[in-house]
Amino acid sequence: MSAASMTRQARRVRFRYAFYRNLGLTLNIFPPFIYLMLLFYAPMAIMLVMSFWKSGFMTLEPAFTLDNYVKFFTTPIYVRAMVNTFLIATGSMIALILVGYPIAYYLARYAPQWESLILYFLIIPVEINFLVRIFAWKIALGRSGIINSALMSLGLIEEPLKFLLYSKTAVVIVLLHEWLPYVVIPIYLALKGVSPDVIDAARTLGSDRWSVFRHVLLPLSVPGLFASFVLVYIPMLGEFAVPALVGGPSAYMLGNVIESQFLSAGNWGVGSAIGFILLTITLALVAIVIKVAGVEELM
Amino acid sequence: MSNREITLEVRELTKRFGSLVAVDHVSFEIRRGEFFSLLGPSGSGKTTILRMVGGLLTPDEGQVFLGGKDITFDPPEKRDVNIVFQNYALFPHLNVYDNVAFGPRRHRWPEAKIREEVTRLLEMVHLTGYEQKYPRQLSGGEKQRVALIRALITRPQLLLLDEPLGALDLKIRQSLQLELVDIQEETGITFIYVTHDQSEALTMADRLAVMDKGRVLQIGDPKTIYEQPQNRFVAHFIGNTNMLEGKVAAVEGQDVRVRVPKLGEFWGRPLDGADVRPGQSVTMSIRPEKMRISRQEPERPGYNKIAGVVEDLIYVGVSTEFIVRVSPVKTLRIFAQNISREDDLWQITWDDPVWVYWRPERSLVLVE
Repeated sequence: MSAASMTRQARRVRFRYAFYRNLGLTLNIFPPFIYLMLLFYAPMAIMLVMSFWKSGFMTLEPAFTLDNYVKFFTTPIYVRAMVNTFLIATGSMIALILVGYPIAYYLARYAPQWESLILYFLIIPVEINFLVRIFAWKIALGRSGIINSALMSLGLIEEPLKFLLYSKTAVVIVLLHEWLPYVVIPIYLALKGVSPDVIDAARTLGSDRWSVFRHVLLPLSVPGLFASFVLVYIPMLGEFAVPALVGGPSAYMLGNVIESQFLSAGNWGVGSAIGFILLTITLALVAIVIKVAGVEELM
Repeated sequence: MSNREITLEVRELTKRFGSLVAVDHVSFEIRRGEFFSLLGPSGSGKTTILRMVGGLLTPDEGQVFLGGKDITFDPPEKRDVNIVFQNYALFPHLNVYDNVAFGPRRHRWPEAKIREEVTRLLEMVHLTGYEQKYPRQLSGGEKQRVALIRALITRPQLLLLDEPLGALDLKIRQSLQLELVDIQEETGITFIYVTHDQSEALTMADRLAVMDKGRVLQIGDPKTIYEQPQNRFVAHFIGNTNMLEGKVAAVEGQDVRVRVPKLGEFWGRPLDGADVRPGQSVTMSIRPEKMRISRQEPERPGYNKIAGVVEDLIYVGVSTEFIVRVSPVKTLRIFAQNISREDDLWQITWDDPVWVYWRPERSLVLVE
């Protein structure tokens, strides 16, 4: 027997061994793989193809065109929806971090006995159906809602504040409420993971409280901030229910455009194109954040 | 105490946690350049003292002076005191260089000076080339060396070390003990070293304080603490000892005759200045290496002696440890040097009837 055929046989045996060893693993990941393929990636691929097809009201023609994308960038109302989307999502994200970070910080550092209670209170509202919550906000923020009537009876304002409902502000307020737990919990967990000795060490090495925050706690909570960003910012870019119910025309977002293209305008080509524009921008943003925050170092 | 400069003075320091008195009116002084150790079992309050000196805890009573200045209520960042923690407490998001440079940067050193000092200190602890590594890539011993130079680099007046070697295994611990003593001598910085390991305290410290239940029981150099413990706890906690409890039968000059029930009468010597009266309950403490063992009844007038049976013997190379039963409820430990082959010791084996004997001044009579 030649040396070459020996190695070939050895390689075949090794391959067979690896195959059986990995069989269990393969069988395990098979169902979710199929599920994702059929119900997620395949429809996405179809959408991608559709976005380059000639498309009109209730018509779709398999002929390559860039019209759908051109239409998006040349229609002022769509461009404005895109600007709105980023203004609202970014504004909400900033508001969420400004409100959520102190809560997470307090929870992790100063409230050992209240931790679980405060966490419950944060999570309970999430358990309520989101439409119910949005309608509750609608009532609270309306012209004669509790906020306006309270401010008026206190004599702080003469007339109801109009910007409270059917405005970008309204969308930001409702999104803040909707997403707060998803911002607080990852940051809380990151801060909770910082050993008290590390903080003490920073103090003895010459850091006052602010410097401990700036040089130790803030950098160590970056993974938490990143998790919040991914969990919250990306879904907010695709938001459509909140702007539809409390936003009014001035807070029209890309989600609403996509929804109307598919459901009322019947233009699936344009709808798909906008969907992919949104997806591309989102992925680009995530890539930038990973790069800038240096999250890979910490993960 | 000599007239050398006092670096730290702790006066009547007290800390309570609820009903527990963790530190109970503790006072001591530490001289400049001294290697001082706080030794005691866990829960004796030594770490609490350290944290109050470091500014991480506020005392309920008492004062802390550093270089003659009252710093009792100064925040940690304002004190010229650094701490080395048992679990290293390195900054996980910073590499070795930035960890060591953390203190100097807070004190606004110029970067060129920081680079020079970090390089010099890394060389001192044999970690040159580790600048870019992150704490998670280091072994326990390496982490602790980084933590040490991170605390040393700003040359604080006082360095507090909280069981710094407690998490390391024996070999690394022993080599780091020597390294620490060298570094302390080289830098001249005053060290307070907290440990529950008595051999560590005895080998490293210039002076040590033995603590129990929040109080300092004795302060002295290792030899005094070992040879002349002031009470039962210290005698028992430091090294090994045999304890015989009895009542004073007679006092003759320096010496005291103690009647130990069921075992007989033995001569011993109290500490200088101790007030011992006949009838008083006392404990005799005799170190195992100060006792001798023989198969023949010793012909030595004036020695204390007691008959027994060898229950166990443990050969440990340089010496042999004998466990001798002298009554149904009492055994004695004796350490004997394995000096020569002709020695009577070599003949002694299990179940042999033997005599244990020692000089009267070797049995320390303790009142407490």
